[in-house]
Amino acid sequence: MIQRLLPFFTLIALIVGLAIATPNFLTVSNLSSVVRQTAVINIMALGMTLVIISGGIDLSVGSILAIGGLAGTMYLANGGAIAAGILIGTLAGAACGAANGLMISGLKINPFIVTLGTMGIFRGLALIVSNGLPVHDLPARFGYLGEGNLLHVPLVLWVLLVCGLAMHVVLEHTRLGRYAFAMGSNAEAAVYAGVPVSFHTVAVYAIAGLLTGLAGMIEASRLMTGQPTSGQGYELQAIAAVVIGGGSLRGGEGSVVGTLIGAFIMGLLANGSDLLGTNPYWQQVVIGSAIIIAVTVDEFRKRRRPR
Amino acid sequence: MLLELTAIQKNFGGVAALRDGNMSVAAGEVHLLMGENGAGKSTLMKIVAGMIQPDGGEILWRGKAVRFRNPADAAAQGIAMVHQESLLAPHLSVAENIFLGREERLRFGWVKRQSMMERAARIIEAHGFPLRAEWKVERLSPAGKQMVEICRAIQQGSSLLIFDEPTSSLSEAETVEVFRIVETLRQRDVGVIYITHRLEELRHLGDRVTVLRDGATVHAGPLAALTTDQLIHLMVGREVSAIYERQPGTAGEPLLEVAGLSRKGVLEDIGVTVRAGEIVGLAGLVGAGRTELCRALFGLDAMDAGTVKVCGKAVRIRSPREAVRAGLALIPEDRQHAGLATSLPILHNLTLAHLDSVSRFGFLRAGAERSLAREYTERLRIKASSPRQIAGRLSGGNQQKIVIAKWLVRGAKVFLFDEPTRGIDVGAKAEVFAVMDTLARSGAGILMVSSELPELLQVADRIVVMRQGRITGELPRHATQQEVMRLAAFDRTPAEAVERPQ
Repeated sequence: MIQRLLPFFTLIALIVGLAIATPNFLTVSNLSSVVRQTAVINIMALGMTLVIISGGIDLSVGSILAIGGLAGTMYLANGGAIAAGILIGTLAGAACGAANGLMISGLKINPFIVTLGTMGIFRGLALIVSNGLPVHDLPARFGYLGEGNLLHVPLVLWVLLVCGLAMHVVLEHTRLGRYAFAMGSNAEAAVYAGVPVSFHTVAVYAIAGLLTGLAGMIEASRLMTGQPTSGQGYELQAIAAVVIGGGSLRGGEGSVVGTLIGAFIMGLLANGSDLLGTNPYWQQVVIGSAIIIAVTVDEFRKRRRPR
Repeated sequence: MLLELTAIQKNFGGVAALRDGNMSVAAGEVHLLMGENGAGKSTLMKIVAGMIQPDGGEILWRGKAVRFRNPADAAAQGIAMVHQESLLAPHLSVAENIFLGREERLRFGWVKRQSMMERAARIIEAHGFPLRAEWKVERLSPAGKQMVEICRAIQQGSSLLIFDEPTSSLSEAETVEVFRIVETLRQRDVGVIYITHRLEELRHLGDRVTVLRDGATVHAGPLAALTTDQLIHLMVGREVSAIYERQPGTAGEPLLEVAGLSRKGVLEDIGVTVRAGEIVGLAGLVGAGRTELCRALFGLDAMDAGTVKVCGKAVRIRSPREAVRAGLALIPEDRQHAGLATSLPILHNLTLAHLDSVSRFGFLRAGAERSLAREYTERLRIKASSPRQIAGRLSGGNQQKIVIAKWLVRGAKVFLFDEPTRGIDVGAKAEVFAVMDTLARSGAGILMVSSELPELLQVADRIVVMRQGRITGELPRHATQQEVMRLAAFDRTPAEAVERPQ
């Protein structure tokens, strides 16, 4: 049990340690900036949690992020309403995710391969539709999504909480979530039980795409541009957050709380080394080590179970 | 004595798998190791083979105290294990597997292929195995794979061979083959430890027996001194009859009617009917098409021709989902693989096939689900601390019951049981039969595939026999094993029996 809570204690220790080490850490402005910086990855990681629990993986989310951001901002740049633009970006992400799911279930090809392919395809499409150029001239009020406050708290934190709560409910209290766990735990048993596996595979990837599309709009709002090159490497950060939080790449294991803790651990490691003035190159070494340590501890916990 | 084990202990995360394991094996004897699932047989043998390390106790090998840090250590001393689940590299050849890890090497890691092939062929020939050195292991039947493991042990010059339930996945003919091999090993003064659940095969084989119960040795001595009932009593610690006598019920309406079912090269013109309240046994050798018939009926493999009626209504089954909708349930042979989501709680497994009944608009109703789970864990007497317990941590018999309970929850009408008692102990077997009996009495129809003929003859109301994808006959309840074997008898060459038909 103690080991199960290890990511949580790590997060607490990190917060306490940083609060003692630097006076700049526990300030409203610093904490808000951590929340804003990590929100995009966190929201993507929620979708990745569902995908990984179902026994899959999605390497294309970085590219989907760019497509979602572009679709929404191109609409806004042409004078569209802000809410509609956000919706369009989100749905574009969902469409990309559904395409992943359809290929995985239809062609019966390993999700790693399919999304490795679509990672390139979606990125290429983003560059093609934008001609490789960023989308500017966005309405000023669009910046509120990424940079605004609601009740003195960054709006993106509310968005993250709502998405996290929704994903938690999906995983623990809906048929879709239960089927995702079953498919990830034992795909064949799910087929034998008559679970509509293809449909739910598509649904799982579409939901991941949807959240990624939304994250793409947040990213665009923070930069006030739609970038066809945005989100490169984000897929690995999202996967890392899930894994640090106790998700298993073999499927069937993972939770929203775990993923959020994992994502914040990574965010704080980055923020902490900024504040402490450590060499930014070392940040990557530290975060990389954190991934390996987290998974090692988790594996030891599982191995000690009686067989 | 070749091997002496004294007071061996082993704990897994606070749970004692072995408390007091004692055993001694001489050269040239076949020593049976018996016990229920979870008694600690496999743990004890893994310690002997160096796969895990004991927490306490003493191992004497040829009179000297030893400690094996890994399987290579044990192998170097002449101890080898033939595993229940094959531990071979499927994409490599027979010869490559025999020499895996001990290849003859030239400089720079080059492997002497030709001489390896020749040496493997010599070993195979010396024992008269129906194998060829260049065959790919993935094409072999379970028996063939075991022969490869045995060749590997022989090649290593092992003087103690451990067989972990060698016949649990073999047909009758293949079992005979394994017995012959064990006999040869005994004559060559090799010590053999043989783990088994199948009581009927003991008598041909064993010299002495060690019985484990709850992690401790409760008996060791000559096999001839014990009756089968005494053995069972030692294993279980309570009275269980070796023979399960089922009183046949009355057969009602036909629930499953199959006519003219064919699948090219696998099944030909299969016709079979299962009535309400009936257990129909499906006998045959491995590869006769019994599992394939179950798969086709359940929509896992496409059928080329034929009609299927469930409860009198013609149905087209093209996927497991349609099979489940029609009222069919398949309890597959490979439970861990296809029947159970082992990393999920019991609760989730129980309701997996019927989530619709406990959900509204896609949201699960936790209360309804829990009470459903409670009802069925009690009905089937599934031993667990709570429905939240992880299914994979239960014993084989309890896992089997969860798979059955899943279909009871779903309210299936026709149950296809594929080898329901494979790898479960006598106590659990009796319970699985009792569950099947209850199912039949409550009006379900059961088609049961089993390679253990005595069991099939005790449980089934009538026996349908298959050979090479066809039904060769049907026998009434009190048929003899000889009658069944005559219909199932294989008229293939041994090589074909080992090589799996495509």
